[in-house]
This record gives sequence, structure tokens and C-alpha cells, in this order.
Amino acid sequence: MREDPVKYLFLWPAFLVVLAMAIFPLIFSLANSFMSLRLVPPMPARFVGTDNYADLLTNPRFWQTVKTTSIIAFTSVALQFVIGFGIALALVKRVRGAEFFRVTFLMPMLVAPVAVALVARQIFNPTMGPLNELASFLGFPNLPYLTDPTWALGSLIAVEIWQWTPFVILLLLAGLQGLPEDVYEAAELENASPWQQFWSITFPMMLPVSAAVVFIRIVESFKIIDTVFVMTGGGPGVSTETLTLFAYQEGFKKFNLGYTSALSFLFLAVVLIMSLIYLAILKPYLEKYK
Amino acid sequence: MSVRDLKGKRGWLAFAGCFAWFAFTLFPLYWVAITSFKTPPDVVGGPTYLPFIDFQPSLNAWRDLFSGVRGEFYSNFWSSAIVAVSSAVFATLLGTMAAYALVRFPFRVRLVSGLVFFAVAMGGFLLGRDVLDFPPATASIIAFCVALALSVLVNRFNLPGKVMNNDDIVFWFVSQRLFPPIVVAFALFLLYSEMGKMGLKMTDTYGGLTLAYIAFSLPIVVWLMRDFIAALPLEVEEAALVDNVPQWRIFFGIVLPMARPGLIATFVITLAFTWNEFLFALFLTNSEWQTLPVLIAGQNSQRGDEWWAISAAALVAIIPMIVIAGLLGRLMRSGLLSGAVK
Repeated sequence: MREDPVKYLFLWPAFLVVLAMAIFPLIFSLANSFMSLRLVPPMPARFVGTDNYADLLTNPRFWQTVKTTSIIAFTSVALQFVIGFGIALALVKRVRGAEFFRVTFLMPMLVAPVAVALVARQIFNPTMGPLNELASFLGFPNLPYLTDPTWALGSLIAVEIWQWTPFVILLLLAGLQGLPEDVYEAAELENASPWQQFWSITFPMMLPVSAAVVFIRIVESFKIIDTVFVMTGGGPGVSTETLTLFAYQEGFKKFNLGYTSALSFLFLAVVLIMSLIYLAILKPYLEKYK
Repeated sequence: MSVRDLKGKRGWLAFAGCFAWFAFTLFPLYWVAITSFKTPPDVVGGPTYLPFIDFQPSLNAWRDLFSGVRGEFYSNFWSSAIVAVSSAVFATLLGTMAAYALVRFPFRVRLVSGLVFFAVAMGGFLLGRDVLDFPPATASIIAFCVALALSVLVNRFNLPGKVMNNDDIVFWFVSQRLFPPIVVAFALFLLYSEMGKMGLKMTDTYGGLTLAYIAFSLPIVVWLMRDFIAALPLEVEEAALVDNVPQWRIFFGIVLPMARPGLIATFVITLAFTWNEFLFALFLTNSEWQTLPVLIAGQNSQRGDEWWAISAAALVAIIPMIVIAGLLGRLMRSGLLSGAVK
């Protein structure tokens, strides 16, 4: 590393943009979260301490959204990981047509979530959609995919899996390609079965990459809004309302600024607590296989 | 890792699995593509699958879309494209510059000066707005500038406390991705409207949305580009330094061309984010600079079951990214992204 004052010219533009557009608004929100502040009807700011937080923590709707968001995030990421790992393995072992699959499998993750949700609405439609026709063809009853609370949650999870498994495939594939060959050659000589090879070599060696991928996906899944916004609008009732959607409703529909800011910070706290628990659980395993 | 490629029964099983996933991946895209060519009776009368056999394709939905009878689609498409491409370009450039600085030069930031920034910004803002009765935007700008100046000043003194190095700064950038964007989106919306009251229009402008996108793409750019730049050979730069080539020419003339594959990959990933982004666009724009995702989401409530029109609109947002997916697939095949997983 060398010294040159020009280094500040390189770092500062990016630093300033992030500081002004991400950190400062965060501080601004934090300040507002201790205020009672409304835009409509306009009301002067009043310091209320932690009242907003206390209100939220006793609001069952808040806990409902935490639960919904967690269910969507954990279920969909778990399935994304299992499916993604399987496909990445098949691709790295040069399944027939691997080159072709590789390109097509990437597509969903680049499609706008809003567009995906609109297509999903069509497919899940009870009378005009293909899914219920397939269900009746196979002898199942017509299912209320988007209007029954449980099915609506399931549909959202299915859409999340469709859209984000590619991301898991992409990163796991890159990880698998980096694994050393000699370990497998040794295992071959020992006549280890593919199953044994997977559990004693591939999976442990992939643990750091897997941990990172799952972490990124869970954090991103907690931010989910566009898919829900279009597919169910949080309905039926508020049964599929996620944290971000709840904050949007409170802030943009009711203009209750202090309350919304407090909500965003609780949301941040939820994400941070989840991340810390996740890292704490994973740490012994990561160190074991280092 | 490819000691033993799949053969025989296992190979066919894996192929069947991949093919099933392929069908699952492709069906929704196929569905939206054919729906955009359907006429209303073909949609309302129950699902139809094969053009020319099940239904007669028609170009009506597309004609309606392009003739503009269904609202200002063109202008939204162009605002979307301009905002997405330019913010991806700026984010990639600024992020690469920052990544370069963080790889090649040592930085030291005291934890104290970070705390000073936090305390002065928050305290100054509250003081300005609630005690001195400044308008909120004025209070914010003054608080921000004073806090920044003070923390830079504090950093110069030899104060106790943790000193953070380059890795911590990278972590600081990346940790922005942990925050739920709604926190910032809502705060930016409020700050922008307050600035609007002062005469500086930020909501529904090119600058307002692009700045927000740049800020939110930078963490990923810095993270990805740091690995790409760290992998570049140092010798070329050192040779140029010996010849007294100015630093900015080393960066633009040597480093950027060498890092081109990484730059392309990063740019594509950033572009996918800025093109598809919904939340910020929802908060920060309302008419002139409204982007496609927000427009398309609105179709849902406005048009109910007019799927042919909705599908055509959705496809306009999807197709550019499918083209990009092909590009990314080719980049991935050359093992380019493997450096990013570390």
C-alpha cells in the first residue's frame, strides 16, 4: 500500500453519497421516531420519548407482520437453498444440457418482481388461470390461491422460490467450481460412495459459501414488498402483510411520521437480532471446518 | 470439482430434475408472452395455451400499448431507462474508484469521529428544527455539514478509541444492505418534500431518484469491485508510477481497462437492481419520472383483468433484463463471478 493524498479524491465521492443519502436519512428517521409528528392533519412535533415504540410493541398487527415476514423469509430461503444446491451440483457435474440450463436458470432473478407478481396473479387466478385447470384435471378441487390466508402465503413463497433460487444457484455454482479436485480423487480411491462424498467433503467445504448465501437471501427476503403489494396487497385482511408493506401503509396512507420511523427502526432491530442469532448458531460449525 | 461427471441412471435423474426446474422457470415467462397476444375472449374464456391452435394471436394489446391510448407508456419507459442506466454507470464508476482507493491506499478512521458525526447530526437537526425553528430541510442541511466538518476535524487529532482500517470501511459500505430500505426511502421522501418547500424540487426529479439509486447500489459495487481490483497485478501500476504518470491517468488508463470483465459484471448486476427497483420509485416519484415497475404495479388496480394489456406492459419491463441474463450467463461461463464468492 502506498501513500498519496489523491486517495481521498477516489474514496470521498462514494463515501459522501452514501453518507448523505443513506446514513443521514437513517439518523433523521431515528430522531423522528421519538416524536409525535403528523403531516395530515399537520401537527407540530412533540417529544414523546419511547411512546411510539411501546405502542408498536403492544400492537398485535406489528407482531402479525413480523410472523408473516419470518414465515415467508425462512420457508422460501430454506427451499431455495435445497433446490439451488441440487441444481448447482447437477450443473457442476455436467448434466446433459448444462450449458443451456445455466443461461435459462438465471433469468427469473433479473425479472422485475412487480412483473413476476403480475404474471403470478394470472397463473393463480381461480377461473382464468392455468393452475386451477391443471388441479381440476388431476382431480383436485379448485383452490383459492390468493384469497385464503394459508394458500396466499404459500403462493407468495412459491413466487419467491421461483424468483430467487437462481441467485442461490449462481453463487453455489461459483463456490463448487472452486473446490479442489484432489480431495475427490482421494475419496474415489477409498471407494467412497457419492452420498458419502457429498456429506463428508462437498457439504462441509461449501459451508462458508452456503452460510453467506443463506444470510444474504434471508436479509433480502425480509425486505419483501413488491411481490406482496401486487399479488395480495397484504390481504386477505392483513394476513399476508409484511413489515415493509405495513410501514408503507402507516407512512404513506396515514402520514404518521413518528410512528412509521419507529416501525422502521423496530424492523431494523428484528433484522439485526435475526442476523446475530444466525451468526451465533453458525459460528462453531464455520470454525470447525475452517 | 468434476472428478466424476454424472453418467448412467444418476445422470438421467439429474437431467430430469433440471428439466422439471427448467419447465417451472420458463412456464410463467411463456405464459406472459402468449397472453400479450391474446384477444379478450381468449383470456376470459378460461386458459388457452398454444397460439394458432388454442387461440388466434392478435397484436391488439401491443398496438394499444405503443399507440399510447393507454397512458404515457413511452415517457415512463424512457425515464426508467435513463434513470436505471445512468445510476448504474455512476454507481459503478464511483464504487470502483472507492474500491481502488480501499485496495491500494491505507485509510484510518477513528470510531470517535463516527460517533461525533452521529451525535452532531442528530442533535443539530433536533436543535435546528425544534428549538431554533428552522424549516426541517435547512436544519438537516446545516446539521449534516457541521457534523461532517466536525468529524473530519476530530479524525485529525490523536484521540483514544478504536481506529478503523480499510476492511472496516468496506464493512461499513456493505452493511448498508442490511438496513431495510423502507427506513431510508421514507426519510428521503420527507427530506425531499421539505426541500421542495424551500424551492429545491427533489421528488419526482431525475436527480432525486438517481442519487438514491446510486447510494443503494454502491455497497454491492464496492464489495464486488474490491475483489476484482485486488486480483489485478500491481507491477503495471508500479511501472507507471516510476514513469511519473499521474494517479488519475493510472486509474482511468490502466486500472479500468484491466478490470473490464469485472466492471461489466458489476454494471450488469447494478443495472438489474436499478431497472427493477420498486420501493424508492414508489416513494420518490409520482408522474414525470415514474419508472416502469411502479407504472406496471398500478396497472393491476386500474385495469382489473385486462391481462392482455397487463402482459404486454410487463413484457416491456422483462425483455431488456432477459437479454442481460444471456450476457450474464456468458460471463458466468467464463468463471468470472467466482472471484466474488469469498
